[in-house]
Amino acid sequence: MTGRDRIVLIAIAVLAVLGAGWVLVVSPEKKQERKIAAQVAEAQSQLASAEGQLASARQAQQQYQAAYASIVSLGKAVPASEEVPSLIYELEQASNQKNVDFSSIATGAAASSTSSATAAAPGVAPTGFTQMPFTFVFNGTFAGLDHLFQQLDDFTQRSASGALQVSGRLLTIQSVKLAPATDGVTAGKAALEQLTGTITATAYVLPASQGLTGAASPAGGASSASGSGSSGSPTTPAIVKANP
Amino acid sequence: MRAVNLIPAAQRGGASVGAGRSEGGVYALLALLAGVAVLAALYGHARHEISSRRGQAASLTAQAQQAQAAASQLAPFASFVALREQRAQAVSQLVASRFDWANVFREFGRVLPPTTTISALSGTVGSSATTGSSTTSSTTSSSSTSASKAAATVSSATPPGSVPTFTLTGCATSQAAVAKTIQRLRLIDGVSDVTLQSSTATAVPGATGSAAPVGSNGCAGSDPVFSIAVTFEALPQASSASAATTVDASVPSGGAR
Repeated sequence: MTGRDRIVLIAIAVLAVLGAGWVLVVSPEKKQERKIAAQVAEAQSQLASAEGQLASARQAQQQYQAAYASIVSLGKAVPASEEVPSLIYELEQASNQKNVDFSSIATGAAASSTSSATAAAPGVAPTGFTQMPFTFVFNGTFAGLDHLFQQLDDFTQRSASGALQVSGRLLTIQSVKLAPATDGVTAGKAALEQLTGTITATAYVLPASQGLTGAASPAGGASSASGSGSSGSPTTPAIVKANP
Repeated sequence: MRAVNLIPAAQRGGASVGAGRSEGGVYALLALLAGVAVLAALYGHARHEISSRRGQAASLTAQAQQAQAAASQLAPFASFVALREQRAQAVSQLVASRFDWANVFREFGRVLPPTTTISALSGTVGSSATTGSSTTSSTTSSSSTSASKAAATVSSATPPGSVPTFTLTGCATSQAAVAKTIQRLRLIDGVSDVTLQSSTATAVPGATGSAAPVGSNGCAGSDPVFSIAVTFEALPQASSASAATTVDASVPSGGAR
């Protein structure tokens, strides 16, 4: 064996030793390092997601009072129960304002289920309102009845900006019949101008499974809405009762 | 004189580098040591990285869990706001799906010529299930009647696609006035069709003008009694409610409460 051969053998042996050290000692650690780095990246992603959820939850907490007021306001349009006395009171008030005589109200048969124009926010189950058909009879002039129809629509209306303005029960008029009044109370020309308006309309109530403010509404902060609310800790859900 | 080579025999030209007494073993040892040192440095760095990143991952996971716990604690707020949004959109769609009755009656009053009188007017949108015998009368009764409710979870009673139709019955001074009435009714915005159902003049001998006696059809003299059907365009599809339907809760006036 010459000296050169011996040097080559020694170099090979050194490289072999170093290679073995890399493969057996360093490489597994490097592999572990990459694995941990991936875990860190995943944890960062989870943290970002959780922080996003927390931010939206905090935003919802800040919106609570406005949302509660909106819910209560919407309860005027679509109450949790039938609220027939309230409806009669509203109709009486509206007809008095328009110089129309509110003659009668009759509950109708169940309406046919025809459409499913339910609104659903992303990820939220659709709302289904229960229909309550009614038949109203009013007596008044053509102009008075016309104004009354407008008033009934104005109980719940949308502004030009799209915002809902609720001041009474949401009613959908399905049919109207106008005919000369035959009550014989008025006489002369005034009698000729008197009409009997028979209106078939539908009111709506929340499903029985839903309360006005939901089954458990968070009582974050002092409730700005009317009604008695138990004000617990800001994050403690509580039952809040409110009368629309 | 004999030349003498003073260079040691081991270092004379042609001898290989490192071919000293150790015959290159020293260099090999040095290279080995250097390689081991590099490997040790790499190993140490990797161990340090692993250690620090483990701590970082644990810290991040703990933070994420804390954030999730806080978010879940505030979840009722989020669901409440979602409920409000959902309900507002549903009400908004119902409001948008209504037919503007008041406007139509105003339009009738505007377009009908003075040569006609209306004795009856009826209009219907969609399917009306509450007519005649299906109603139970209660004259201005404030008793809390248990209104029968639709079992199905439906929305508007006047769903999109419903066609509003009106029937006008009345008297005109002449058949030409009936024709004019039909033409005028077509001027109403949204009217898709105006159909004459009947226009009948009953001959009454000697009956002319407004002083003529009222005939059996309720019209003066031989004035024709007409019946006209007015069909409006179908109710449009409810526009997709905006993502954030606002509710103006500060408008209690104007209502009846």
